[in-house]
Amino acid sequence: MGRTLVELFYDVVSPYSWLGFEVLCRYQHIWNIDLRFRPAFLGGIMQATGNKPPAMLPKRAEYLLKDIKRMAEYYQVPVQISGDDFQRILGKSTLGAMRFITAIDMTQPRYLEPLSREFWIRFWSQVAGQAGLSSEVAQKQLEMISSSAVKNRLKETTEEAIKYGAFGMPTVVAHFNGEPHLFFGSDRLELLGSIIGEKWQGPVPSVPSHKM
Amino acid sequence: MGRTLVELFYDVVSPYSWLGFEVLCRYQHIWNIDLRFRPAFLGGIMQATGNKPPAMLPKRAEYLLKDIKRMAEYYQVPVQISGDDFQRILGKSTLGAMRFITAIDMTQPRYLEPLSREFWIRFWSQHEDISQPENILAVAGQAGLSSEVAQKQLEMISSSAVKNRLKETTEEAIKYGAFGMPTVVAHFNGEPHLFFGSDRLELLGSIIGEKWQGPVPSVPSHKM
Repeated sequence: MGRTLVELFYDVVSPYSWLGFEVLCRYQHIWNIDLRFRPAFLGGIMQATGNKPPAMLPKRAEYLLKDIKRMAEYYQVPVQISGDDFQRILGKSTLGAMRFITAIDMTQPRYLEPLSREFWIRFWSQVAGQAGLSSEVAQKQLEMISSSAVKNRLKETTEEAIKYGAFGMPTVVAHFNGEPHLFFGSDRLELLGSIIGEKWQGPVPSVPSHKM
Repeated sequence: MGRTLVELFYDVVSPYSWLGFEVLCRYQHIWNIDLRFRPAFLGGIMQATGNKPPAMLPKRAEYLLKDIKRMAEYYQVPVQISGDDFQRILGKSTLGAMRFITAIDMTQPRYLEPLSREFWIRFWSQHEDISQPENILAVAGQAGLSSEVAQKQLEMISSSAVKNRLKETTEEAIKYGAFGMPTVVAHFNGEPHLFFGSDRLELLGSIIGEKWQGPVPSVPSHKM
């Protein structure tokens, strides 16, 4: 039986996208899925839908700060943030980063997972890390990020997410029973599992022993 | 060891509150918790925080319609909705219903769970009105309240005691940090922990040292 295609549309500005990313990375070895990473631009989705970052509502921002900490701990993702950081970080533009990730997606896709993780680590954690790209390759991709090929690719991926119905991130689209099923947020992965006939084992599932 | 106090602030206008309600009702027999229902007024919370119903964003409304259906099916809660219903229902006022539920909370609290459930069934499953007095009485009857008691509490809903109680409960939710519903507050390790949404119950469990078994847990056999 074929694997279920699961697409993850994400932008590294989004900490909840990091949570969804890590959990799906774990489940790609357990569930019968083909996980495809779709780097996209959250700013573009917001603009197209009229949506606003949730942290713009003060009481919600207070809650989000606590929520992301607790969720990150439970999901075992090293998000580390404090009061001001949250608002400051959310204000930064990740267009350059997402274009760089897109360039790597187009030329060195096997680095997409570690590279995305590295960006999140640098952006949302104080832990240092390395994605393993040689500085030569990295420099070349860096030059590419202003090329129209890369800009257009990021734009197209973003528009694809919007066409599926995305209004924020993370947006996960599972192709099941001949149609796309959209899930918004890092807290719909248990539901996703139930739709595609898989069992949720929490955000940190154990890998079956025969695969170890 | 004492039970963990878990408060659920809810308004029957909110379908996600129904999901959270049913799941917590199941877990109150499994987790070491003391579940307390806190009927409150979502309109009051929205006004105090400046929040708006999520369905006001068109693309989000389209998503919510699908999301509530899938979540309700997975959570085994009989929410029935279609296109227009969603927007129409969200526009209705549940102030009278929440005042009635509050009156019952003050006088016949053991009916609070079935009564809340019957309001949700009527509103979100059968799409019937819950604002007219005769309809409130019908719901009360479904919940097992005698018509005598129901009539008496219906008259109480315009009393300042009931109005104030609903207002105070709503303000308490706001003080905890609520900006929407369902809002769950778990009192653990000497402090309140607020969770927003019907999708934070697994996390709630992990915070209070309990295991999540999905939205439809099986009751341990020795309790059957």
